[in-house]
Amino acid sequence: MTWILPNLWLIPALPILAAGIIAIAKQPHRKLAASLAIGSMAVAFLLSLVAFTHTLSISHGDNIKEAFNLNWFQFGSDWVRIGWLLSPLTVVMLLMVTFVGLLIFIYSIGYMEHDENFTRFFCFLALFAGAMLGVIISNSLLLLFMYWEIVGLTSYLLIGFWYANPAAAAAAKKAFLVTRIGDIGLFLGIAWLYHQTGTLLFYDNGAGCLEPSALNALVSHTTILGLTVSTGIGILIFCGAAGKSGQFPLHVWLPDAMEGPTPVSALIHAATMVAAGVFLIARVYPLMSAQVANVLTPSIALQVVTWIGAFTALFGALIAVAQFDIKRILAYSTISQLGYMMMGLGVGGVPVGMFHLITHAFFKALLFLGAGSVIHGSNGEQDIRHMGGLRRFMPLTFATYAVGMLALCGFPLFFSGFWSKDEILHAAYDWPLSHTPFYMGAIGALLTAFYMTRQICYVFAAASRRPLPTHSFLHDDYDSAAAHHDGPPHESPSVMTVPLIILAVSTILLGFIGAPSWPWFQDFLQDKHAALNIHAFSGNGIVPVMLSSSALVFIGLTFGWMLYGRKITHAEQPDALQQIEPHTFSLLHRAFYIDALYAHTIVPLNTLLSHIADKLDRWFFNTIVQAISYLVLGVAYTDNFVDTYFVNGGFNAGCATVSVSARVLAFLQRGRIQSYLRYVGLAFALAAALLLWRAKA
Amino acid sequence: MTYTHLLRLALPEVIIVITSVIVLGVDLFILRGSTIKARFTAASLIATLGCAAAIFDLVYAPQQAILLNGVFLSTPLINTVQIILLALSILTLLLSSESTFTDHVGEFVTLILFATIGMMFLVATQDLLILFLSLELLSLSLYILTAFNKHSPRSSEAALKYFLFGAMSAAFLLFGFSLFYGLANSTSFTQIAAAIQASPLNPLVIIAIVTTLVGFGFKVAAVPFHFWAPDVYQAAPIPAATLIASSSKVASFFIFFEFMAIALNGTSGAASWHPFASGLHFAAGWTPVLALIAAASMILGNLVAIRQTSVRRLLAYSAIAHAGYMLLAIVAHTPQSLSALVYYVTTYALTTIGAFAIVGVVEQQTSSDDLSSFNGLSRRAPILSACLFVFMLSLAGIPPLAGFFGKFFLFVAVVSTPGLVWLVILAIAGSAVSLFYYLQVLKRAYVTNPDDDTPFRTPPFTQLIIVLLAASVILFGCVPNLLIH
Repeated sequence: MTWILPNLWLIPALPILAAGIIAIAKQPHRKLAASLAIGSMAVAFLLSLVAFTHTLSISHGDNIKEAFNLNWFQFGSDWVRIGWLLSPLTVVMLLMVTFVGLLIFIYSIGYMEHDENFTRFFCFLALFAGAMLGVIISNSLLLLFMYWEIVGLTSYLLIGFWYANPAAAAAAKKAFLVTRIGDIGLFLGIAWLYHQTGTLLFYDNGAGCLEPSALNALVSHTTILGLTVSTGIGILIFCGAAGKSGQFPLHVWLPDAMEGPTPVSALIHAATMVAAGVFLIARVYPLMSAQVANVLTPSIALQVVTWIGAFTALFGALIAVAQFDIKRILAYSTISQLGYMMMGLGVGGVPVGMFHLITHAFFKALLFLGAGSVIHGSNGEQDIRHMGGLRRFMPLTFATYAVGMLALCGFPLFFSGFWSKDEILHAAYDWPLSHTPFYMGAIGALLTAFYMTRQICYVFAAASRRPLPTHSFLHDDYDSAAAHHDGPPHESPSVMTVPLIILAVSTILLGFIGAPSWPWFQDFLQDKHAALNIHAFSGNGIVPVMLSSSALVFIGLTFGWMLYGRKITHAEQPDALQQIEPHTFSLLHRAFYIDALYAHTIVPLNTLLSHIADKLDRWFFNTIVQAISYLVLGVAYTDNFVDTYFVNGGFNAGCATVSVSARVLAFLQRGRIQSYLRYVGLAFALAAALLLWRAKA
Repeated sequence: MTYTHLLRLALPEVIIVITSVIVLGVDLFILRGSTIKARFTAASLIATLGCAAAIFDLVYAPQQAILLNGVFLSTPLINTVQIILLALSILTLLLSSESTFTDHVGEFVTLILFATIGMMFLVATQDLLILFLSLELLSLSLYILTAFNKHSPRSSEAALKYFLFGAMSAAFLLFGFSLFYGLANSTSFTQIAAAIQASPLNPLVIIAIVTTLVGFGFKVAAVPFHFWAPDVYQAAPIPAATLIASSSKVASFFIFFEFMAIALNGTSGAASWHPFASGLHFAAGWTPVLALIAAASMILGNLVAIRQTSVRRLLAYSAIAHAGYMLLAIVAHTPQSLSALVYYVTTYALTTIGAFAIVGVVEQQTSSDDLSSFNGLSRRAPILSACLFVFMLSLAGIPPLAGFFGKFFLFVAVVSTPGLVWLVILAIAGSAVSLFYYLQVLKRAYVTNPDDDTPFRTPPFTQLIIVLLAASVILFGCVPNLLIH
């Protein structure tokens, strides 16, 4: 089974290849595009399964991080090396991305059916999937960064897929720029790391940058403020991760990114791409957690991750409470959940954060696809105030959506979200430094249950509040489902509902591989043998945390139901919270005015700087350039002069000399044999005289 | 040692002699009434077969012997040179098979074979007497061949000049040889070398050296003994000119080198140039004289060639310039320079045969060898002009053609002899000038518009030979190792 290791590159290569072929295919070849993209994803999924079984077959306890490295190009005297890595973390992510991606690809056939740029869409989707898979398998921070940037690019392309819509174009630009800000940090971190360790390979038989020798070197150096180098690099890398994963304060692009088609929101901005940041932190976890020997407190880098994560978790949940757009609620919920993952990594390590990442990927993809189905079914409507009563029209969507919602809320025992979130809270409770992150997470969990109940009440309960057709749609011309027919809400076609059902089932089942009683998932990631242990519940304060978090969920659900259940009668009715606390609601609805704050601080500052740079460029540098150009012109004129009158003149004179001497010499040959023989005699006499004279001398 | 042994050793030469008798007999007695074309075809075919048989013998039954203290030798190197000579003669014969200028076909072909016999003996000896005899056999054959076009007065005139010039040079040569004989009491190269070693550089030796140089200088057409060359190249029938320009050069240069390097080894002197020490340093001996002759040949040949309007005369002056380059190898006289010389002169001979063959075709079609006859050749005869392109660039020494590697090996061999860099610089400058007149021919063929557009009627067989020659020039250029070993 070692075949898979050297051929792991096939997994990202296949979707990228498919994207390339689709890119050169003609617009009408819809079936070709879709089948290529889906086929490549299916093969990638099968290969991921092969990789998974390979990893399973290796005996536990060994260090099963298998790297395959090769020389890429020579850079000075060093070889730049890249490679790929086969580890439990890799295969778990591979399985998740290929499986969820495959379902979303299939779903897209139905959702994008009426779009004229169907093939372009699948080209971008396949390219995105390939890049994401590349991020996962990379064993080199450099290779990872390159794929990372392709992920950013495809995100830009897909958010701005309906580029004729100014909001979509602006959102795409915003996403690209904001994530780039994080990427600057990441790039600096990479450069610093390369400077310190001389390698960017993660694992390289002891010489990689995540292996003990390099880490020991990193923690032994200190830099400004007494931080170790590993902390500095870790925080810089976290900047990139925060940008990609929408952590405060770089979260602003994520809600706007909902301008993209809903499958994109599901695939990129819920399940996979935003998880890349979390994955990156998990990948470089040895670096993040590197700590001087004998110090037992968590490293400063991990503290930063924990605090930012906890804050984001609470922050996102608060804003989600006061949104009316069905996708924006989910977007802020995603931000909040990503905060949980970061916090989980910070307080509990890789298994805790990754478990929530995986379960979240499933139920958030489910929720987004469900939202897409809702939008599709209600002809492009996205404002939850104009929905209502859809339970009757779309029973399947409702059922699956409810599963996703309960998983997200962390409804006890039967939903994967419960187990993964509970584990984060448990780890946070045990965190030695502070209990504040635990309380922030707990409040966030309560709010999550509350806003999801609010959303479900708005969308599925009560009676339909559908406005008249003349009422302005939010995205009337752009979202594909819009306006192709205008009837009552309807259930979506089976190509869309079947993925929903599969995701719903997976969401429930996933919980059982990570529950404390049989923590197979966590042990798999940590190379331990999984064992069934019912008594796990009794130790270590798990049960109190479980009970309290369950209580919080029930409180949230109850509040939600009390405020919104069956009470919404017409679309213009103010929100229940709005009636109680109008100012707070407005603050939350505007997302704490962060966008406005940026628009009035960073954007004007940037504009000012750009004006200064422009003036500097125009008046200062341009003058220098002009001066240099005149200097060059002067040199050129001098050169031309010299060339014309000295070099060319000299050459012409030389040629003339050659020509004249040729004429003179040709004159010798006049055709008279007498003179010829005379020349011979003369030559003989001269040569003899020369030699005789020299011989005497 | 018996006569059988001697005959066995000289079997290739004997084969050629028998062949020449057969050619003469067949032409006189059997093909008397046939057309000239048929007679030429038959004669050149028989002669070719004879040469091929001689080559076969040399390749498959090579002999190794030194007879009578160097009167007749057979060594691998000499065998190789003889094979080259025979191959060049075959090419000349095949190209002459389309000729129409004479009805004395048998005699013409027989003379070519005689010249070949002369050359074969010439390269296979280290004895003054045999050297002189075979040189005269070669020269006399060439004089007659030059005069063979009886319809052209210029042919006779050129032959007469050639003969007078040659006779005087032969007199010089014989005079020098007689002095050497008087000195050494022997005609063997090695004995002469020993005698000179014993009493170096008395005036008699100097006179002998200079007179010998005059004789050899005539054979290789070096300045100032070159005056015959332009006239002969221009007026001789094409096969005769080809023979003079190619295989005769090979044989003459080879024996020139051998004589200088073996017999006169003790008096070579020096002609080195040390720019920062003592300037041009001449030590009396034959190398300074030869260096001057080489330098004069390179300068005069290249410069005067620029002025020529006749392509044949242009090739003659180019031959003088090339003789200057090749003399450098003799000036250096190291084993390395001998192999460079053989490579150079062989590829040069191949290229020259091809160039002369094309000139012959052009002459046949336009009845002139003027540069203007080549106007628009690329449109009238595209294959021929492509071959002309190859030959001219090879003569100019453009990689990757054979001419480039010839010059390259030669110059490397000469540079490795200390003090001769100035000659190599002169040679490279001369090559640069030579590019000018070679390109002028190509410009006529490729850029200038033709006066009339009728395509050439090139005999297919001739064209085939020319294409094969061009291919071999490219091949030896790309894979020079084929010839070096």
